[in-house]
Formats: sequence, structure tokens, C-alpha cells
Amino acid sequence: MSESGLTIGGEHGELLEASPYGIEKKKLGMWIFIVSDACTFATFLFGYGYMRVGSQNWGTPFEFPTILNGIVMTLVLLSSSLTMLAAVRAAQEGQKASAYKWLGLTMLLGTIFAILHLREWFKMISEGWRLFSNPTGGAAQFGACFFSVTGLHLAHVISGVIALLIIARGFSRGRYDASHVETAGLYWHFVDLVWMFVFPMMYLMNAR
Amino acid sequence: MSSNQEPRMGSYIGIVIGLVIIVGIEVILAYQHLPVRTLFFSLLCLSCLEAFVGIMYLMHVKYERPLLFWTMLPATLFVLVLLNYVWPDAYRMARMSLLK
Repeated sequence: MSESGLTIGGEHGELLEASPYGIEKKKLGMWIFIVSDACTFATFLFGYGYMRVGSQNWGTPFEFPTILNGIVMTLVLLSSSLTMLAAVRAAQEGQKASAYKWLGLTMLLGTIFAILHLREWFKMISEGWRLFSNPTGGAAQFGACFFSVTGLHLAHVISGVIALLIIARGFSRGRYDASHVETAGLYWHFVDLVWMFVFPMMYLMNAR
Repeated sequence: MSSNQEPRMGSYIGIVIGLVIIVGIEVILAYQHLPVRTLFFSLLCLSCLEAFVGIMYLMHVKYERPLLFWTMLPATLFVLVLLNYVWPDAYRMARMSLLK
């Protein structure tokens, strides 16, 4: 029986009702976290958006190879959402080995995304990009915007890979069940959807 | 607790391909040399579309009780609208030439 369908027995049992949302409390907690985290990302992107549109001399520093790298990163992250869905489905069907395999593939794709991202960062840093230094002569705030927004997202991806590793180990050992995998999946899809804003705003808006 | 009407993996693949197509449209738009504001709002609208599809299907909100959607959405929109009142201060900064 799912947690949401439970009521506590005993003399006070009739006072407690099932969740009005029809979902488990860990999943509801994850949704509340996602809403608050979405607002955090929105704050960064709003700030960047207003500066980008309001600045007369922002510049468009990204050549096509950088955009291509961003496209590959997007495809990797979208693929990881698909493997995460497969992991959740396998976990719900009780196929532990399959769920473990799909979770492993999701972690691998997340790691590839992080490596591609860090490679891009190091390339930019070697070209002279800093938080308040723009080697192309455009707005000095570009570095601060780019590194803070993409850095926040990268931190979420790395945290997600670590969380998935913990969930996968716990699931394979029987400590966690399918609902834990599903809740971790919600977080992973959220990270994926945030990138759907970060990529066009931070990369495509600055394509030369 | 999701309903039993969840789509098969084939449907999910279709949804992800749809998201890839939207990303492709965004890339094409980026190279059309549109005015900054037009490009910004076009990309923002497409990103919102991607987010809506992702939330409804990949994150299964479509298959949960509607109360979840109608609790989360107004709260998020309220915060975003409030942000919209704060951030136009960036334009004042631009007018004051604080941005190069």
C-alpha cells in the first residue's frame, strides 16, 4: 500500500486523512524543493536577462564550436532524462538489475555533461575570461553572469550524480524502494529542464 | 501515487525527440540576427514550452491529481511576477552607464 493511502490506526486514526495530493510525502517534499530551486534559478536568469537586454555593448563572444559543445551537452542531458525514466519504470516493475543499469547510464551521462561543461570553463578561463573580466571587450558582467548561472547548474548536476549513486546503491541493497528512485528522478528531470533555459539564455543569446 | 495511465517508453522517446526539435528551432533562431529583445523573448517562450512539456510528461504532473499542479503553479508564478517588479532596476543601471 502506498504511503499516501495510509492512515494511522488506533483511537486517533479517524482524524488523519490521506494526502490531498495523492503522492508520498518524500515526493511532495521534492516538489516543494523544486519550486523553491526554480525560483533561485529564475532570480539568476531574470538578473542576467535584464542586464543582457539593457546593455548597449554586451557582445556576442561565443563562436560556433562553443555553441556546438552546448548542443552536445543538451543532447546528453535530454538522453539522461530518458534513461532516468527507464530506471524509474524498471524500479516500479521490480526489475532491480535493469533499474541499476539505467541508473548507472544516467550517472554516466551526467558525468559526461559535467566533463564537457568543465572543459568549456577551462577553455574560457585560459582565454582570459574571469568573473569581472571580458577579453573580447564586451560587458564585464558577462563572466559573472555566465559562470554563476552555469556554475549553479553544474553544481546541481554533480549533486544529482552523487544522489543517484547513493539511491542506486541503496536500491540494489534493498534499503531504498522504487519511490526513492522516482523521487530522485523528479530532481534529475528538473535539472534537465533548467538547462532548457540556461542553454538558450547563456549560450544562444551570445552566439556570434 | 501515479495513475495507471502513464505512457509507454515509446511515448517518452517521442516527447524527448520533440524537445530536441524545439532546441533545434532555438539554435536556428539564434543565427537569424534578430533584435536582442525579439530573440530573448522568442527563446524564453520556447524554453517555457519545453519546461511545460517536461513538467507535464517527464515529471508526470499530467498523471497526478490536478491539485498538485494548481498548488505549485500559482506559487511559482507569484514569485516570478514579484521578481519582475524588482529586476527592471537593471535598466536604471544601464541608463546610469554602470554597464559598459
